Amino acid sequence: MNSNLKVLIFVLIMGMITSGLILGMDVLTYERIQENELAETKSTILDAYGVSYTFSNIHDVFEENVETVEVGYEGESYTFYIDKTTQAISYEFLGNGLWGPISGIITLNSTFDTIERITVLVQQETPGLGGIVAERSFLDQFPGVKMIPELLIVKDSSPNQDNEVDSITGATGTSTAFMNLLNASYQAHKNAWDNR
Amino acid sequence: MRWIRIKYTKWYNILKDGISKNNPIVVAVLGICSALAVTNRVENAIAMGLGVTFVVMASSLMISLIRNFIPAKVRMVTYMVVISTFVILFQMFLEAYFPSIAKALGAYVGLIITNCIVMGRAEAFAAKNPVKYSIIDGFASGMGYMLVLVLVASVREILAFGTFLNMNVTPDSWVNWTVMAMAPGGFFVLGLFIWGIRELIKHYETA
Repeated sequence: MNSNLKVLIFVLIMGMITSGLILGMDVLTYERIQENELAETKSTILDAYGVSYTFSNIHDVFEENVETVEVGYEGESYTFYIDKTTQAISYEFLGNGLWGPISGIITLNSTFDTIERITVLVQQETPGLGGIVAERSFLDQFPGVKMIPELLIVKDSSPNQDNEVDSITGATGTSTAFMNLLNASYQAHKNAWDNR
Repeated sequence: MRWIRIKYTKWYNILKDGISKNNPIVVAVLGICSALAVTNRVENAIAMGLGVTFVVMASSLMISLIRNFIPAKVRMVTYMVVISTFVILFQMFLEAYFPSIAKALGAYVGLIITNCIVMGRAEAFAAKNPVKYSIIDGFASGMGYMLVLVLVASVREILAFGTFLNMNVTPDSWVNWTVMAMAPGGFFVLGLFIWGIRELIKHYETA
């Protein structure tokens, strides 16, 4: 009993010290990590619009070239990033993949129906299979593809229609999840965009 | 004369053991997974090497400090908790100050937790030795790991991308060996290194 008590006290003290260390580091780094994520979002959008920037002037270049529009619709707030020269529209999509959340930036043309570029920023799919969802070789299929009536990520070998994209070999679950989340976020954002 | 005496001090021998005679990768063949994965660029190898060095040193220090209080029953769990804490600290540090390296290393920073080198040094050395030698031992193991990583990465980066630390070092007519950037290249180069260095330090495994 006495030795069990000792173990318990030891584990408690250990837990407090280690979680204290982690909490302290979190307080120190939280703001910088948030800033880095914001800069990453901005750099993705600027890449999609073909604007060149450096890491020191990214915020100014972003202000100059991109208009940020907030739209409130049915109690939700949607953010759109609009290219001031081409009127192309970007927004952030977020949804569930097969194993965890997938999020990134999608850029549509000015009439809000054709994909110009997709970038996946966060994903936790199986490395080498579903993880291909974040690779450029997969995402480069999307430009020019229509979101209307809905985007389809398909397995068959027939030539793709103008709203179809080939799925990832060996990752049907991720492909389907990616398709669903893109369509769902498209519908939500389209409704908000049309009612702005 | 002084040089000769240094050779017989304990810290010198621990250092030499970690870097050459007991090199974690070449001799003990520990931590191979991350060594294969992150050695396609020298800067990733350096970041990973420094990370592992920091984690081994910090966890060796902590475990050595509390080695007389650790109940035998929860020994391994304690090592895991200490190691994961320092790995998370390192990961947060990278994400905050070197986001591009954090992205390039991806899951492998988190996987330092399962790097056998750290656990191995904690159980084999830090749990039995005083603090100052444990720190030196952690440093030596980390450096031994980093040394091999940087050497392998130098070969792979020059052959695969024609660059060294992102500086161009090859003539314009250079054709990149794409295979070197991928997993097979890692296996080839690391295998050759292990063979070469074992020849050099005359380490032969007896059947």
